[in-house]
Amino acid sequence: MPESGEDVSVRTKEEIAPSGETLVHEAPRIRLMTDQAVDEAEQFAPGASEQSVAMPIEDGKVVFELQSLSCYYGSFRAVKEISLRVPHNQITAVIGPSGCGKSTLLRSFNRMNDLIDGARITGQILYHGVDLYADGVDPVEVRRRIGMVFQKPNPFPKSIYDNVAFGPRVAGFRGRMGELVEESLRRAALWDEVKDKLKSPGTELSGGQQQRLCIARAIAVEPDVILMDEPCSSLDPIATLKIEELMHELKQNYTIVIVTHNMQQAARASDLTAFLTMGPDRAGYLVEMAPTQKLFTSPDNRLTEDYITGRFG
Amino acid sequence: MESATHAEGPQYSVRRTFEEALDATKDDVLRLGAMVEHALERAGRALVDRDVELADQVRWDDAQVNELQRSINTGITALIATQGPVARDVRELLALYHAATELERMGDYAVNIAKLAQQLAAEPEIPILRQIPQMEQLCREQLRAAMRALVDVSEEEARAVCARDDEIDHLYNSVYEDTMSLMSVAPDKVRQATHLLFAAHHLERLGDRVTNIGEDVVYLATGRIEDLNP
Repeated sequence: MPESGEDVSVRTKEEIAPSGETLVHEAPRIRLMTDQAVDEAEQFAPGASEQSVAMPIEDGKVVFELQSLSCYYGSFRAVKEISLRVPHNQITAVIGPSGCGKSTLLRSFNRMNDLIDGARITGQILYHGVDLYADGVDPVEVRRRIGMVFQKPNPFPKSIYDNVAFGPRVAGFRGRMGELVEESLRRAALWDEVKDKLKSPGTELSGGQQQRLCIARAIAVEPDVILMDEPCSSLDPIATLKIEELMHELKQNYTIVIVTHNMQQAARASDLTAFLTMGPDRAGYLVEMAPTQKLFTSPDNRLTEDYITGRFG
Repeated sequence: MESATHAEGPQYSVRRTFEEALDATKDDVLRLGAMVEHALERAGRALVDRDVELADQVRWDDAQVNELQRSINTGITALIATQGPVARDVRELLALYHAATELERMGDYAVNIAKLAQQLAAEPEIPILRQIPQMEQLCREQLRAAMRALVDVSEEEARAVCARDDEIDHLYNSVYEDTMSLMSVAPDKVRQATHLLFAAHHLERLGDRVTNIGEDVVYLATGRIEDLNP
């Protein structure tokens, strides 16, 4: 090898593998790290398993990029070294056995874990290339852009109208509130069912309607991403299918990440599926992430196959 | 409460994703049927006209038939794996899967006939038995009728297709008799007669595959598996 070649490789190493935490705040360096990490991610096996693969995204925008993300509650590591990418305007499902860190992972996407004592992360979550956990990033703004819908529908004890208007009011929305409420309810496929009773309490709706109200509430602040944590686990099959069809509509405008232990739901409703499981240390790690059709017809990893066919987990 | 609201919102159809995928699959199977019908028509014409180039085309185009069949079957596998279809949905997917497989095989018969056309064109010319173009035409009619029955999910149409297969069998038996006679009176034409017999045999097999699609339609419509071409 000529000397110049060595020079190049030495220089690159210095730039892309900085040892000091201080570099995190230097934007150009971060970008270099990211590019390198993207390349490595194509072959990089996160977690303990040798066969695990991070999802390569051939085209389109990347909304989230996780780089070796670990989540801790105190000294317990709940999620271990997950590297993956979430593409724009797609539905990404996260599946895995109970306690494998799915919800923890999801909550890290909008810094919801910040609210829990002793929770911290290592590694990085880049949101449109920006480090979500960097100093100066406002968690409130993060949660406005990255909304969340929870397992149990949790409408406020207010009218249907006020449930939807609440977020925009808090955010200082000055436009026509009535139109915004209608538009949000329409997008959540709830408008026709509630347009004549907007003043009724949101809590009087059926479970499925309440969940769609929560989705309308999340949409009203015009987020970019909607995170869903088991959004159908308390709903009957028809209401569940409605939410799934709604997700399908919503992905035109939003990026959706859904955590579910209902494998059939992930299979039916998502474009990409990430399968997490936990190691002997009880830390969840990523086994495999692939287009949903691929993962459910011919997964690469034996652990995935065993889980989705019900042989384990 | 949920089901009542569901009935109220006609613009909001549950399982639209699945319906769309199912419709697209059906369209693909119909397209596959049309491709096979076209191949068969050209193979028959190549046989009668001693058109080697046309026969070549049929052989080349078969790759597209194979490719479409693979894509249909892969798509159906993915739908079954991801959508968890039950009852009529799963029967429909299985019927389409099987129909695609049968159509691909029919495409192979068309190729076989095209190859025979080329072999015959290399031999001294003999008159093509009139039953062979008749069989070929009847096969295409049957194929079209079976595809229509599949689209309409019509048990009645499917049964009619299966019943009519006897006509093809009858023509085949008649070709068999004629080629046997030809061979015994003109031993120098044994090669040509054998080619003709094989062509008729491929058409007869093709007709049976059409009835298999008819049986699929009956299964789809009723849930019962019946042998309609005993």
